[in-house]
Amino acid sequence: MTNFETADFFTDTSLIENPFPYFEYLRSQGPIARLPHRNVLAVTGYAEAIEILNDPQTFSSANAATGPIPDLPFEPEGDDITEQLNAHRDEMIATGLVVAKDGKEHANHRSLMMNLFTPTRLKANEEYMWDLTSTLLDKFVDQGHCDLIADYATPFATLVIADLLGIPENDRITFCEKLGPPPGAVGGEVDYMDSQVLGMSFLFEYFGQYLAERRETPKGDILSQFAQAKFPDGSTPSVDDLVWISAFLFGAGQDTTARLLGASLRVFCENPELQIRVRNDRSLIPAFIDEVVRYEGPVKCASRLAVKTTTVAGVNIKAGTTIALLYGACNRDPREFEAPTEIRLNRPNARKHLGFGRGVHTCAGMPLAKAEVTASLNRILDRMMDIKLSEKHHGKPGDQHFSYEPIYTLRALKNLYLEFTPVR
Amino acid sequence: MPQITITARSGEKLVVDAEVNQTLMEVIRDSSIGEMDAICGGCCSCATCHIYVDPSFISKLPPVSEDEDILLDGSNHRKLEVSRLSCQIRISDALDGFALEIAPED
Repeated sequence: MTNFETADFFTDTSLIENPFPYFEYLRSQGPIARLPHRNVLAVTGYAEAIEILNDPQTFSSANAATGPIPDLPFEPEGDDITEQLNAHRDEMIATGLVVAKDGKEHANHRSLMMNLFTPTRLKANEEYMWDLTSTLLDKFVDQGHCDLIADYATPFATLVIADLLGIPENDRITFCEKLGPPPGAVGGEVDYMDSQVLGMSFLFEYFGQYLAERRETPKGDILSQFAQAKFPDGSTPSVDDLVWISAFLFGAGQDTTARLLGASLRVFCENPELQIRVRNDRSLIPAFIDEVVRYEGPVKCASRLAVKTTTVAGVNIKAGTTIALLYGACNRDPREFEAPTEIRLNRPNARKHLGFGRGVHTCAGMPLAKAEVTASLNRILDRMMDIKLSEKHHGKPGDQHFSYEPIYTLRALKNLYLEFTPVR
Repeated sequence: MPQITITARSGEKLVVDAEVNQTLMEVIRDSSIGEMDAICGGCCSCATCHIYVDPSFISKLPPVSEDEDILLDGSNHRKLEVSRLSCQIRISDALDGFALEIAPED
């Protein structure tokens, strides 16, 4: 049994399969608790997380994707390290990603994404999504069993974002094969300095070429919109800026959605009555998705770097401290969510979870993720009856096990073996 | 900088300096009035940045898009003419002196 007092959340693989008891231990230490390693304060309180997310001047996103590993490339000095951070930002990992930008530069880059996933824009891609659900399900439904992640969720989410961005079909397979691991490996050996951008470096070459082509000849896809896009002040972004955003959208747009689908099906299997209820009343799907994101959301831990010494909820926070926002814990804060471990489809504050973040960095792909999961759940329920966990792979009820990717940033099922009665 | 007057749900008023090219939602969210959730972050996909605008400024605002119209229709507090999603309005010098009220929560 892991000793929670001394555990290192960022390297301890025993906290991967079920981090929630550890989160509750941290909560018992207060909504903001100091971790014993790496100069980190962990946030399990909902209100405290919102206070931090809404104060980007004090809490920089420079380390948002990576957290406290690797160490800062400088020794923080004094009570305001804004200038130090600015001087060393380029030495940090993946700071070209929009999630890791701050201030005006972030606002500019974010604005380029803001009209990509509007309801109208998504309608144009819905037909493709619905067709794709059927194409993928056709491949295995008759067998009566599947690994939802490998057989469905990963190819589905990857192909949807590839279609939306307008990646040529011939390149899509290459992309799926080459995509590196997500950030935040626990005890892993990922060489960040080599990959620099979290396994996405190969995307730059491809996207650079696509965008250059589309500046010449627009094609009506998102990449063409990008190629023509302007910053809010009317200036034109560089191709490099656009490449970073496109590569990010591709990388971020598929893994989290695939894992959300996995989590949704795990919840269905563990709550058979709920499965029946949603099967019989599909209008409950949106509320169900928000509850799954709250209860088992794919983003487990997002980070911030305190650049100014400050106080939140009575806790003194020294400039240079990493703030680990444990969304998985904040979303089970009983001060905000009554009976937080119950899936309730009628919570008055159901949509206020932090599964998609909050504030200036709120997930821009939320509407897309929800559209993808809605289409998938509908079609899965159409085609599969009595969906159950495979006892062979996950064990008998009461003693079930699941493999999650050994990463501290995401809560990501590696596989989810299901058995069901096919509907023909 | 254009000055904007925000009226909170409590009736409290606050005058803020807004930066040109920010969205109105960002101005309200970044102000000391902590009651704007803006849960979609500004991509016109929820209605949690719903405001009532000063009628005298309507002609200076961009028209309501189809998406915005659908989302506003989903609110129980829509008031024709003055209801808008603040994420869809960008600050310009023409909005100096603009006033808005944060709509009740749905």
